[in-house]
Amino acid sequence: MKNAMGVELSDAERTLVECYQGLVRVLKNGTDLAPFERRNALKAVAALWQVVNGLDLDPGHLYEIGA
Amino acid sequence: MKESPYWNPRHETMPRDQIEALQVRKLKNVVAWAEARVPWQAKRLKAVGVSAESIKSLKDLQRIPLMTRDEWMQAQLEQPPYGPLLAAPESAAIRYHLTSGTTGRIPLQVLDSMKDWEWIAEMWCYGFWGFGVRPPDIVFFAFSYGTFVGFWGAHYACEKIGCLVLPGGNMTTEARVKQILTMKASVVCSTPTYALRMAQEAKTMGVDLAGSAVKRLILSGEPAGSIPATKRLIEEEWGAKAADTAGMTEVGTIMVFECEKQPGGTHIIEDHYIEEVVDPETGQPVGYGELGERLITSFGRGFIPVLRYRTRDLVVRVPASGCTCGRTFDLYEGGIRGRVDDMKLVRGTNVYPRAVESIVREFKEIDEFRIHLYTAEGRQDEIEVLVEIPARDGANPDRIIAELGKSLSQAHEGLRFGVKKVENGSLPRFELKAKRLQDDRIVIGTAGERRVTA
Repeated sequence: MKNAMGVELSDAERTLVECYQGLVRVLKNGTDLAPFERRNALKAVAALWQVVNGLDLDPGHLYEIGA
Repeated sequence: MKESPYWNPRHETMPRDQIEALQVRKLKNVVAWAEARVPWQAKRLKAVGVSAESIKSLKDLQRIPLMTRDEWMQAQLEQPPYGPLLAAPESAAIRYHLTSGTTGRIPLQVLDSMKDWEWIAEMWCYGFWGFGVRPPDIVFFAFSYGTFVGFWGAHYACEKIGCLVLPGGNMTTEARVKQILTMKASVVCSTPTYALRMAQEAKTMGVDLAGSAVKRLILSGEPAGSIPATKRLIEEEWGAKAADTAGMTEVGTIMVFECEKQPGGTHIIEDHYIEEVVDPETGQPVGYGELGERLITSFGRGFIPVLRYRTRDLVVRVPASGCTCGRTFDLYEGGIRGRVDDMKLVRGTNVYPRAVESIVREFKEIDEFRIHLYTAEGRQDEIEVLVEIPARDGANPDRIIAELGKSLSQAHEGLRFGVKKVENGSLPRFELKAKRLQDDRIVIGTAGERRVTA
């Protein structure tokens, strides 16, 4: 996986990006999440957004999912 | 693995051409976002023919119209409370803050989402990490935790870094000093003015701050954090290193920080902002080493996209090579030098409060001061500096008054400064932004006009 600057990400970085993508997917589609699941996942995705942004992957915005 | 001295090593050491490529990409993104989500911004961009697709290089930035605080305030007045500047529904916000109210008729009101709030802390992390703050540190915040955004982001940055955070809101100065000592705080965050205020209080309490556990001070909120004489005084009083930072509510957080090498300036966080320096009169760019006004474009807070905002801050930008830390982020030499509207013209001579402070702080015996401008005999502008000189350390007020008056005059083309000693404790103390200039001059055309015109 390469970032927008053409830099190859390390295995650990790629794993973090996949975590972020997985969380976004769940929060977009997971209508049956309990409050503790959704709100903690939102906190996590807001933090992981900083990682993905810092890795130059242009993560966009998260307002539509509440983060 | 050796711990990095940089919060984001890849970005903070990027070659200049890559920083610029990153900025162009992010600029396109933020313009596209503003076009799509903020009709107020879209209209302004369309009027000058700017679209995300039309941005090819940083030169295209100059086609984007400047945004002023007046426009922002006007937009809020017309469509309260936030104006038509929001790119997301209010329901997506988790934080509300206001500007501190030092400029302008009404404070600006801003909102942040969870992601934006996290980003605000992220910017402070660049500064804290860059100045050597690490997980074992115990960080005390001398901050009132109100609607002014101030150190809020810094508080969360320290939690993120893994420090033990001591939130020192709603405490007297004495109580704060006590807690710093009893909790063995290793880092203290405050305005420069309040750092000196706590040092004064410690002396009154008979406490030796220089012998405390405090090793670092993070300063913000006033230009004084980069005034060499003020900073030297703070470092001496606390026996600790002090770093300057500067931020603004309009972007929610800091945009510059001083690193551990203390190069006498602050690094611009260039992977999250584009900072331009222009002539405040013409709006034309000025080069490295020239004094000008900062413009900011932020890639961070998506809730309110900020493009080419006129900050009114005066700065001198120099290349990153001015620091030995290895960062490739350019610097503002001497931090924020003051405000465009700070300058006062007194009998034909320009007087900047920062320049006056830098001279006053050479006199360690002076606890507090105020610059007072007034009209004498209804016709002549006068300037005086009121000083508090407590009777301690063998202070000789007459000598200090004479020497201070002479130094101020020499630094201002021979302009006569009155220097007056006032009662100790009579001048106001400040926790946030200090307001030490009082301009009581009569302006022709006002009700109080008394100037002799014949």
